[in-house]
Amino acid sequence: MAESITWDLALDIARRDLLDLWRSKMLLFFFILFPILLMSMFGYIYPPMPKSNPNTGSIGTAFPNLPVTLVRMDDGQTANSIAAQFIQISKQQRLFIVSESASYEAARNQLVLGNLKGIIIIPQGFSDALAAGQPATVQVTVDETNPTTASVVRSEISAVFNIIGSSMSTQNINNMDGGRVNPAFIMQPISVSNIPLITGVSSSFQFLAPGFMALTVITGSLQGVATAISREKEQGTMDGLLVAPISHRSIILGKVAAQTVRGLIQGFLILGLSMVLFGVQIYGSPIIMLIVMVLGTASFVGVGIIMTAIAPDQETAQMMTLILQFPMMFISGILFPIDQLPGWMQYIGKAMPLYYAADALRKVIILNASLAAIMPDMLILIVYTFLTMTVAIPLFEKAMRR
Amino acid sequence: MTMQESESVSSLSDQAIETHGLTKRFNNFTAVDHVDLSVRRGEIYGFLGPNGAGKTTAIRMLCTLLTPTSGTASVDGYDIVKQGNDVRKRIGLVSEKMIMYPRLTALENLMFFGRLYRIDRNTLQKKSEELLEMVKLTPFKDKLVGGFSSGMRQRVNVIRAILHDPDILFLDEPTTGLDPQSTRFVRDLVKDLKQRGHTIVLTTHIMEEADELSDRVCIIDHGKIMAVDTPQALKDRYNTKSLLDVFLELTGRELRDSADGRISMRAPMGRM
Repeated sequence: MAESITWDLALDIARRDLLDLWRSKMLLFFFILFPILLMSMFGYIYPPMPKSNPNTGSIGTAFPNLPVTLVRMDDGQTANSIAAQFIQISKQQRLFIVSESASYEAARNQLVLGNLKGIIIIPQGFSDALAAGQPATVQVTVDETNPTTASVVRSEISAVFNIIGSSMSTQNINNMDGGRVNPAFIMQPISVSNIPLITGVSSSFQFLAPGFMALTVITGSLQGVATAISREKEQGTMDGLLVAPISHRSIILGKVAAQTVRGLIQGFLILGLSMVLFGVQIYGSPIIMLIVMVLGTASFVGVGIIMTAIAPDQETAQMMTLILQFPMMFISGILFPIDQLPGWMQYIGKAMPLYYAADALRKVIILNASLAAIMPDMLILIVYTFLTMTVAIPLFEKAMRR
Repeated sequence: MTMQESESVSSLSDQAIETHGLTKRFNNFTAVDHVDLSVRRGEIYGFLGPNGAGKTTAIRMLCTLLTPTSGTASVDGYDIVKQGNDVRKRIGLVSEKMIMYPRLTALENLMFFGRLYRIDRNTLQKKSEELLEMVKLTPFKDKLVGGFSSGMRQRVNVIRAILHDPDILFLDEPTTGLDPQSTRFVRDLVKDLKQRGHTIVLTTHIMEEADELSDRVCIIDHGKIMAVDTPQALKDRYNTKSLLDVFLELTGRELRDSADGRISMRAPMGRM
């Protein structure tokens, strides 16, 4: 048995696999559609990070122009002026579309119907309290059925009233002090100013895109190899390869190479789309990105081979890869940071090579990391490659000529 | 007998195939049970038996697609386990499932599989076109085989197996599912291949086919050899005019609905 790899034959096998994809226009269509769909979907689900700036008082929002209503139970001059300011700031910063309601009950009915996201009540005695030098309170009811919008509405209402409140404080301090002290010294003696890690990083997509690239390349090739091999086994064409004087390693290499190329195409499609649609910027070297993705694929594709060796048919093999794919997507730090997970889950997440590939890719894309800087990730991926292949190749051999 | 003749006779490779106690067990089911057979160079060896008798398993072992549980076998003088790669260089296989990619053209299929034998591109191209001409498929050589009829596909499949000029050709039911015209064509092709010097192991359920083509037939049942001889000698021995009667005499007339240990919950991947 020829144990050595015949590179040109592996290349022939890879080329044929890719030709197969190219010839099937329908498959090709969905092959391209998939990353586009994935990217646009998550791109719009994950809103861009609000560009708030405490220094200028700009709030910024991921959910602009939410409908809220104002219920005025106080007809005093101060109340009216504050209501007018609220409406103006909301409009200016595109936070809310503010309507007015006659009563809380009427407003609540509208909220239950889903026409409003929040109600702001200026209670009776509001103007009098302020006139008497007492702090006053506005009351807020939000639509609790959606926790995300509820908390956004609540915090944005607070933010608007903070702006109104600070301008009142500034005026009050000036009135009392006659302008000798900077009012900010009294209100907020210490403030925090932010120096961005890299200028221009603003979208949470900058975090998501590298993860999605790694995810697509790794799971794509994992599933691709499993499907390709078990399909050939079922079709009978695998016999044609096995009955020829060519080593198993060459067959595996050819299959893996074809699927890696497919994965890379999808990966770079995702990157391109996220640059065009969501303003993701690349700060690192495309060559290092390529190295990370190829190594990421190598680290896990062995699992796909193991699955074809175990699975009796194509359908089962596909099911098995799907079952691996889903948890990987959620706990390898692709959709959200791994620190968000419970401790035991973090361990599982960190046992997935995807975590390291995504981590390395993120560092390269966002932080312009050098090969040396991502070496720990790369070493782990190399170890994974050896471990999985050591199990996969003999298992494949055994399964193919059992 | 001269010196030279005795040397050539005693050499390993005067038999194309030789097995000793060849056995294959799947779990508790013995598919091939201590089979000793020898196939002579240049003959068409009809390998007959009911479904599940062990024909395909035996052929897959000889093609190195299955590893024997015990026993030894040599193909073209090479051990099927220890010298698998040497065996693979010298054999061609037409199995029950056609070995070809539907989304490649006839010529592309031949080029792809031919390359696996390291035939250089120019030679391969010439050889492929020559063989396509031989099976009258030249007008279709650049069409995807996915759109071919079964008969056309089987013609491509057969020439795919002989691109590298194998000494020994395994044909596992090459005419099953073909129309009478294609069947006739494939049978004539088999005879032609014999003329070209290939040794052929042929399985079939069509007894007239075995009778017409085979120099010798081997009837196998329950993994064991029941008889080996020329079709005529077998017919004479059982005093009948048809090989079918010989076959039924040897393997019984009852239907083979049960497949012993084969019917199990486990899918038989890799066996067939």
